Amino acid sequence: MTTDPYDALGLTKHATPEEIKKAYRKLARTSHPDLHPDDSAAEARFKVISAAYDLLKDPETRAKFDAGEIDASGAERPQRQYYRDFAEAQGNPYQQGRGFGTQGDPADIFAEILRQRAQGGGDGFSGRGFAASGQDLHYALEVPFLEAAVGGEVRISLQDGDSIAVRIPQGARDGQTLRLRGKGGPGHGGGAPGDALITVAVRQHPVFRREGDDILVTLPITIDEAVLGAKVTAPTITGPVSLTIPMGVSSGRVLRMRGRGVTRPGGNVAGDELVELRIVAPREIDETLRDFLTEWRKNHAHDPRAGLLNEAVS
Amino acid sequence: MTDHLTEDDVLAAIPGLTRTRLVAFIETEVVIPLRRDTGVHTVHVFRQIDLARLQLLCDLADDLELDEAALGVIISLIDQLHAARRDLRAIARAVEQEPPEVRTRIGAALIGSLT
Repeated sequence: MTTDPYDALGLTKHATPEEIKKAYRKLARTSHPDLHPDDSAAEARFKVISAAYDLLKDPETRAKFDAGEIDASGAERPQRQYYRDFAEAQGNPYQQGRGFGTQGDPADIFAEILRQRAQGGGDGFSGRGFAASGQDLHYALEVPFLEAAVGGEVRISLQDGDSIAVRIPQGARDGQTLRLRGKGGPGHGGGAPGDALITVAVRQHPVFRREGDDILVTLPITIDEAVLGAKVTAPTITGPVSLTIPMGVSSGRVLRMRGRGVTRPGGNVAGDELVELRIVAPREIDETLRDFLTEWRKNHAHDPRAGLLNEAVS
Repeated sequence: MTDHLTEDDVLAAIPGLTRTRLVAFIETEVVIPLRRDTGVHTVHVFRQIDLARLQLLCDLADDLELDEAALGVIISLIDQLHAARRDLRAIARAVEQEPPEVRTRIGAALIGSLT
């Protein structure tokens, strides 16, 4: 940004601090992006004038700029997101009114707009009296991994000090919002109370990870289990289950346990559990094993990296 | 995981925001952060939209020297403006789906009632 800050504010070098403030305030009023949401050029203008003001409002930086010690770019503000970028997004908690109902009749839509006006503007002194539903209250709730996966109950303290049990639906997802009807702020003039909206954050689990409705687990196996195959016990979100390891598997091989993932009400197919095998060397390499493998290596040379090294240079 | 900021994060991100001012904004409900129960006590957590809103409130308070009462009025008007814009956009989208003759008729009716 190389615009001269005095030019940006429409001032001369001799402007008094009072004039600088006044000029900035006037321009901010006409250029703040949040006060002019339809003006796409507002953001660029506001950036220039606020950078200019940042530089000139402080007598020290102004003196430095006048003396040529710093240039105008010294005051550039970091990128920021304006409120207008969020204001019309779905689920804006500051939205006034509740949007249109599910019916698509335009007459209903206009009736709804008028109803919203009456609520939001407080212009409710009509013959029928003024009633408004209470405010929705927003809460964040951390839910343990397994409670989210298989469902459960978590207690939460509400704003008014009440503590209630929140039912976590089976298969609750990170970022999902639960609505507790009537648990928000009280209504006015006989209006219904608002709702409590609870945003779920799912905590990590040391063993399980989740991808959609599938559960991911890394399962350590021994060398002999990998070579000979075995029946082992694998953890699932509903408890340990026996799993057959086929003969001759490598690390990274993924076994799918159908239906052992997350079931969601309404979803007709349960997710799977994906078990990734990881071969773990024995803690102690004893002589029998070392002798056997040394002998085995002599007559069974095979190089699993041959293809990789060839491809690496192609 | 979900992108939430603590009170300290928010104070660090917005230069003009003091703790006293933040508490006042929350008390007057011009900003409504989420509440998170830590087991011991309840703390506030802020979303990106809360951050942008706080920044706007600070701009209005500092740059335009609005006091608390004026600030409450302005932010409520801005909220209503956005609600009206959203409704208008929804109507515009709905009209757009209609066949040309319906659109022409609605257009003529609009010009009639706006002039």
